[in-house]
Amino acid sequence: MEADVVIVGGGPAGMACALRLAQLIDAHNASGVDELLSKENICVLEKSREVGQHCLSGGLLDPRSMRELLPGFEKEAPLDAEVTKESVWFLTRSGRYKAPIVPPPLRDHGNYVISLNKFVKWMGQKVEQAGITVFTGFAGSELLWANESKDVETARVLGVQTDDKGVDKEGRPKGNFEPGYELRAKVTILAEGTRGSLAKELISKLGLEDLEHAQTYGVGIKELWEIPAGRVAKGEVIYTLGYPLTSREYGGAWVYGISDTLVSVGYVTGLDYQDPRTDPHHVFQSFKEHKLARRILEGGKMIRYGAKSLPYGGWLTMPRIYGNGWMLLGDSASFLNSQRLKGIHLAIKSGMLAAEAAFDALVSGDSSADRLREYKAAVDASWIREELWPVRNFHQGFEHGLLGGMVRAGIQQVRRGGNLGPDAKNGAGYTRMERVDELGPALAKRAPMVGNAKGDGKLTFDRLTDVFHSGTRHDEDQPVHLVVEDLSICSSRCTKEYGNPCQYFCPAAVYEMVEQPQRADTPRAEGAGTDGGSDGSTKELRINFTNCVHCKTCDIMDPYQIITWVPPEGGGGPNYDGM
Amino acid sequence: MKILVCIKQVPQKDAPLRLNEAGTWIRDDVSWETNEPDAYALEEALRQKEKHGGEVAAITAGPARAQQVLREALAKGADRAIHLEDDRFAQMDAANTARAIAAAIAGENFDLIVTGLQSDDFGAAQTGVLLAEILGVPHATIIIGIEKTDAGLKLKRELEAGHYQHIEMTMPAVLTIQSGINKLRYATLIGIKQAKMKPMRKVTWAEVEGKLSKHVQKIERLYVPGSQKKTRKIEAPAGEAAKQVVEYLKNEARAI
Ligand SMILES: Cc1cc2nc3c(=O)[nH]c(=O)nc-3n(C[C@H](O)[C@H](O)[C@H](O)COP(=O)(O)OP(=O)(O)OC[C@H]3O[C@@H](n4cnc5c(N)ncnc54)[C@H](O)[C@@H]3O)c2cc1C
Ligand SMILES: Cc1cc2nc3c(=O)[nH]c(=O)nc-3n(C[C@H](O)[C@H](O)[C@H](O)COP(=O)(O)OP(=O)(O)OC[C@H]3O[C@@H](n4cnc5c(N)ncnc54)[C@H](O)[C@@H]3O)c2cc1C
Repeated sequence: MEADVVIVGGGPAGMACALRLAQLIDAHNASGVDELLSKENICVLEKSREVGQHCLSGGLLDPRSMRELLPGFEKEAPLDAEVTKESVWFLTRSGRYKAPIVPPPLRDHGNYVISLNKFVKWMGQKVEQAGITVFTGFAGSELLWANESKDVETARVLGVQTDDKGVDKEGRPKGNFEPGYELRAKVTILAEGTRGSLAKELISKLGLEDLEHAQTYGVGIKELWEIPAGRVAKGEVIYTLGYPLTSREYGGAWVYGISDTLVSVGYVTGLDYQDPRTDPHHVFQSFKEHKLARRILEGGKMIRYGAKSLPYGGWLTMPRIYGNGWMLLGDSASFLNSQRLKGIHLAIKSGMLAAEAAFDALVSGDSSADRLREYKAAVDASWIREELWPVRNFHQGFEHGLLGGMVRAGIQQVRRGGNLGPDAKNGAGYTRMERVDELGPALAKRAPMVGNAKGDGKLTFDRLTDVFHSGTRHDEDQPVHLVVEDLSICSSRCTKEYGNPCQYFCPAAVYEMVEQPQRADTPRAEGAGTDGGSDGSTKELRINFTNCVHCKTCDIMDPYQIITWVPPEGGGGPNYDGM
Repeated sequence: MKILVCIKQVPQKDAPLRLNEAGTWIRDDVSWETNEPDAYALEEALRQKEKHGGEVAAITAGPARAQQVLREALAKGADRAIHLEDDRFAQMDAANTARAIAAAIAGENFDLIVTGLQSDDFGAAQTGVLLAEILGVPHATIIIGIEKTDAGLKLKRELEAGHYQHIEMTMPAVLTIQSGINKLRYATLIGIKQAKMKPMRKVTWAEVEGKLSKHVQKIERLYVPGSQKKTRKIEAPAGEAAKQVVEYLKNEARAI
């Protein structure tokens, strides 16, 4: 199939891009030119079964870009509340200290509390009304290349291959097999959000990552809670730093008041922690036991769960965002302000600017890197750079823990983003993980963050209970979409060196090391994916892929980088209603 | 063959459900999907059309959001759609839903009407049967095999405990289809694009209101069963546990 523009990913970035393209094409066609452009040749691919189902965020919208895209959008968009009140707290195990003033980056007056899921659903309706089709249930599974080149100047993207449907778990076609499409396009736009699978293919093939400024990530665990009225006001915003993370880790919590009886609450843990036993889901559960959170949630009811990673690195970690026939947007290209925990408005703005470049490419018939460079130039000239450049060293400043990070953040405030000295460098987060055989037993003060949470079933939950509340569904009879390159590493090296951190970092209990009782009568084959324990038992990795909530943490945090997240059959995944 | 498929939009399976304030139904802030057996009914209709020619129309009675299930049907290959669009169709009882559908297709003369076996939300398994009654045509339920013959239809029905019934019927007829009768196809990219061009007829409440009964069934109260804390947990190896269960049923519950 041929198209003019293919947008992979229908999140805020992809939807804004489609909407802006529709506006430009309408204006173009109405201006009396001979060569009309057709919106039918633009398509958006979205892997979720319905628009917005895989979209999750804390839930604050900076309206700046939406006002540019759709002036007056406030009148019709699903906005839950305007921010009325904010506070920042530092937590210790039993104490809480309120920051005397709210630091400027965390001032949210003028922002809205939204559900990104509902907001993107609404954007999707706008896109459809504008005449562009959103193909839900279709994932981009591979990029189509014009040549073998690995050089960004000569390599050219020709479009994407969509996912095969109806393949069984052995990889054989089922009775209803439907092969994927070769969707060729003049411009291919990757708006896959955090750690996009095609974006990853592109970035690694063309060597776009700057090794001195590797992308770093955090993973946010979120729940929606119904609570008695009077505890958190509609539009109230609470941020916390500290407990249960220690000064060695990066992260913090949010509580956003959606209505007087509904709150969004979550905790982001930086995916550059050292202790491989760290469990971000457990971190969040322990946070809820802190009296600050307990007072808000106790006696309430958890109604939804979700988890998603987010790119933290900011401006310095942004890969090249354009090339021959392609552009990268939103979280896939690091358009996120980690100091403010906000990326929606930047994703939208990047989508709009990419749409303008794509439109010019269509009109001029030239979609080479030379033409699409216009996108990068527009980003540099826009308020995106104004917002992200001054905070470029923010997260890197925290690489050596919370205290140093606070000091550096203070210096950066004064120096408009600069450190005392050159910009910080950083490697990928997983490289900071320490070997478990060198760590010794976990200290008591780390108990609230290491190992899996058990949950009390009321205030705190184990992962399976939470995953049930994510509405996740995958057809069981399909190939495992978490591709582990070499399973023998899991049960041998990883068990010894890192204690299989996949059991802990996955917030959906996908990875499980299960005992394989060894039968005396069957000699074990050499090199099989098992490891003989001293008690005669062996442990093997079991991948419960149907639990996967598409957060991408495993792809990011696995210390050997042997896990590759590929899209499962389109339509599978979480259902983030109201998230 | 001119075939009609009745498709209902129901809350997504596995969606955590919560009661509405009045305690009369669930809150509707959930995701929706095509009722499972209806998807099989559609697939069966499409297969019959592919074998014998004709057309497939899809109909739903429901609010604006229900249009989604019709779009999916069109994307998979239905030729046209009919939408009885009104919020009041959302919780209507089976008899009136059947009356509304019958009114909307008056004069259409379908050879075959297929519905799902039952809906995932109300689970009444009545709409198809009542529709047949209103239209004055024969019906058969729990169908797991359809073969068109010169005389009409050869059908296979699922009975209980692995038994089947084979019957023959004339057309026009209404069949209620069991899940799993076939393997569902996927909507294709091209199918989704073409679906936008296919006709979708809207039918308003006013157009069918006259055919509805004044006596509408409604749910007075819905509640989550309270736990009575009478659970007794028997923890023992299977054989031993079974003995204890039997003992309990004999001596304490006096059920056997
Ligand atoms: C826990 C957490 C809290 C946050 N809180 C806030 C906040 O309060 N305010 C704020 O402004 N920002 C917040 N953010 C950041 C914000 O959510 C993101 O910056 C924003 O969603 C990025 O938009 P996007 O369109 O780039 O990606 P996404 O929103 O991730 O959308 C990408 C879409 O592409 C689809 N997709 C991915 N790969 C494929 C494929 N191969 N084929 C087809 N479809 C695909 C996905 O299903 C998804 O729908 C938060 C993020 C997290 C994780
Ligand atoms: C809407 C609907 C309509 C149906 N209609 C029909 C129909 O018309 N005809 C028909 O034949 N079938 C019908 N079925 C299917 C039928 O109800 C089930 O197949 C049948 O009940 C399963 O019985 P089982 O003994 O195999 O199930 P099991 O899974 O063994 O469980 C049955 C019951 O045994 C008890 N039990 C099981 N394990 C334990 C334990 N460890 N401790 C204590 N108690 C235990 C529980 O009370 C449990 O509910 C219908 C099902 C549904 C959902």
